[in-house]
Amino acid sequence: MKWLFVGAFAVLVLLSCVAWSLRPAPAVAGKIPLQWVSDDNPARREQIALFNRLNPQYELRLDPNNIGMEKVIVQSIAGVGPDLFDCYDGFQLSAYARSGIAWDITDRLKEYIDFEKDVWSADFPNFILDGHAYGFPTNACTNAIWFNKDVLEANGIPFPSGPWTWDEFLQVAQKLTVREGRRVKRFGLLCDWWNWRQFVIQWGGDVYSSDGMRCVIDSPQAVAGIQFLHDLMYKYKVMPTPAEEAAMATAGGWGSGTITFFADAKGAMALGGRWWLCTLRTVQQNKKEKGERFRLGAVECPHGPFRVFRGYGRATLVNKNSPRREQALEFIKYEAGRPYNDMVNHQADALGPVKSYCYTPGYLHDPDYPEEDFNAVWRDIMQYSVPDYNSPFVNGQAASRILDRQLDLIKSDEKPVAEALRIAAQEVNEEIQKTLQRDPELRARYDELMRKKR
Amino acid sequence: MIKSRANNPLAAAGFLLPNILGFLVFTAGPLVFSLAVSFTNWNVQRTIPFRVSGSENYTELLHDKQFWIFFINTVYLMLGLPFCIAGSLFLAVLLNQRLRGMVAYRTLFYLPSFTSGVALMILWKALYSPDFGPINALLDWCLQALRINDLLQALGFHALSPPQWLASTDNLLGLVPQEIRISGGKFGMGAREALIIMGVWIAIGGNNMLLYLAALTNVPQELVEAAQIDGASRWKVFRHVTWPQLAPTTFFIVVMSFIGSLQGGFDQARVMTNGGPSGTTTTLAYYIYTKAFEEFQIGYASAVAWILFTVIFVITLINWKFGQKELSY
Repeated sequence: MKWLFVGAFAVLVLLSCVAWSLRPAPAVAGKIPLQWVSDDNPARREQIALFNRLNPQYELRLDPNNIGMEKVIVQSIAGVGPDLFDCYDGFQLSAYARSGIAWDITDRLKEYIDFEKDVWSADFPNFILDGHAYGFPTNACTNAIWFNKDVLEANGIPFPSGPWTWDEFLQVAQKLTVREGRRVKRFGLLCDWWNWRQFVIQWGGDVYSSDGMRCVIDSPQAVAGIQFLHDLMYKYKVMPTPAEEAAMATAGGWGSGTITFFADAKGAMALGGRWWLCTLRTVQQNKKEKGERFRLGAVECPHGPFRVFRGYGRATLVNKNSPRREQALEFIKYEAGRPYNDMVNHQADALGPVKSYCYTPGYLHDPDYPEEDFNAVWRDIMQYSVPDYNSPFVNGQAASRILDRQLDLIKSDEKPVAEALRIAAQEVNEEIQKTLQRDPELRARYDELMRKKR
Repeated sequence: MIKSRANNPLAAAGFLLPNILGFLVFTAGPLVFSLAVSFTNWNVQRTIPFRVSGSENYTELLHDKQFWIFFINTVYLMLGLPFCIAGSLFLAVLLNQRLRGMVAYRTLFYLPSFTSGVALMILWKALYSPDFGPINALLDWCLQALRINDLLQALGFHALSPPQWLASTDNLLGLVPQEIRISGGKFGMGAREALIIMGVWIAIGGNNMLLYLAALTNVPQELVEAAQIDGASRWKVFRHVTWPQLAPTTFFIVVMSFIGSLQGGFDQARVMTNGGPSGTTTTLAYYIYTKAFEEFQIGYASAVAWILFTVIFVITLINWKFGQKELSY
């Protein structure tokens, strides 16, 4: 027994030594350490390296392990949060601001950029709340249609050009969908279900009324938009159903994800952003080494009754509780500058947040990627992009869960679209009322709006 | 010697203190805190002024349709319990034989219990793939080899196809997703059944099996031998001698399994389904997490937690009251 305890103690000491050796290295003497909670990918590492090179007094480090709104909020309130963190949508910004951890930097930002004029409007909900800026965008994007040039050529279909309608698109997609018995060999279109908002706005609907007081996802326009997305799967059969998607996920060893399905030619066309290139370039390189072809094209996304596209992106916010928040502002300044924007555009991590840096010859024709002849597409469609508008009167997570529960039933063809959206709207509106009961500040704002309406 | 130990209360306290302190700080403290919080509107968002809301959270909870739907989900996922317990017993009986390499068999069956839960869940996710997963491949093969669909169609029934598992809201009771009613159209195998089957697989070779194994070794051999001399068959020996001797262990396992199941479902929901499709695999444990850490309604989440505790407590009391009667040993 004695030796068991001695052995256990020795193992614990050994493990402690391993943990000690794996701990993050202390900041280099004389440098100010900054922590950025963001996703880990090669693009992000390069962006950090460039910042550290341009600002030798700082040492910015990536913390990919604490991503997640709940983690950031809880840690920041407890005083151990990061200096900088990412924000992906208006829901999150509202939660960060209302939790008191997002720092209002409006005046500081105005010292070096007119953000309302110089930044893509698709990014506004990610860093601007009630006219106050809490950070700066990291990138911006609107989805277009990627197409596999080799597949289209092999089927004798000319490369599409925009603007075009979904009806025109369907004719092409149906020709490109190949079925073999019960299974589909190739789909005409691959599209992540979370793009449903794009279809809603293209048919003239929205999730919330313009004042945010009501959920209007059950409007005839929204129903028509979602119905079309549903029909792409079940009526026109050009897009995989959830079951077909799940089946593809374990076939061929590609793993899951629309990008990888597209890269594996399981779809001739796909709705996606410029950031897909980060992965697709690697796939192209791998295929090239094997002697295979994988030529890419991109065209504006088809439109419904309205030629609008859903805009989205990311922003970096500054932690109000950070003891180094002043220094963290340097990173925000860096994101607004040319070196960072040029790097994002070169990496194809979507588009750089500042519009003017996307109107350069280097953006249009990157000498490192001469075959990429589609860069104008992403920039041009940004003009038609509409950011997600969310109600300030409901918790975004709660609303999104309610919507998802009904959208799941539509996606799996278990409930008629109109009925599911009627229930979703009703439940979100109930949630709005519950939120107003809980939050007197929101109640006052709501009542004020109500008075103005009368 | 004994006297000197008894006269040294400081030393005793010194040894006990770390444990007591740990219990107070990390168990009792948060427990009392969560009870207090459940009577407040505490929300991490600072725009909502903190106030004591009395029983407001509990009243709201009783009218919260989602709470009841997720409560039903939690109870539904407990349908696997009898299979888990019976399976553990069966396995324990098998592993209680005197065979060569028995230790290796026991270790193999215990493997799922010390393998990473997340890894197992990812593995099962692949197994449940509707078209390419081995489970549906086997079901497909059975349907074709046994010509079941030909037979069904000849009898005027619809042909069967393998379930969509994690993508489906179908279930064996025909529960309609997002509603508290039953419909024949929803009858089938779906995400809930997928989680139940996986849970049974994990639990059969787990701690319950070990408990049964330990209990089986404690069954007095003279009773077994006496029954055998009297001409009792193996089944009768098990039914009338072994099984009654296992009653205390069974009682303990049933109580602990009820408690564990009512608290469970979080890992599966988080890793495999995100609580979907359409909330069908969201259990109360996952609901508490989403309310507390995604919607930041800490007070409300605490109220749900305490209601869950009450349900568990009542069920345990019932188990205790009626289970005790069966304990003749």
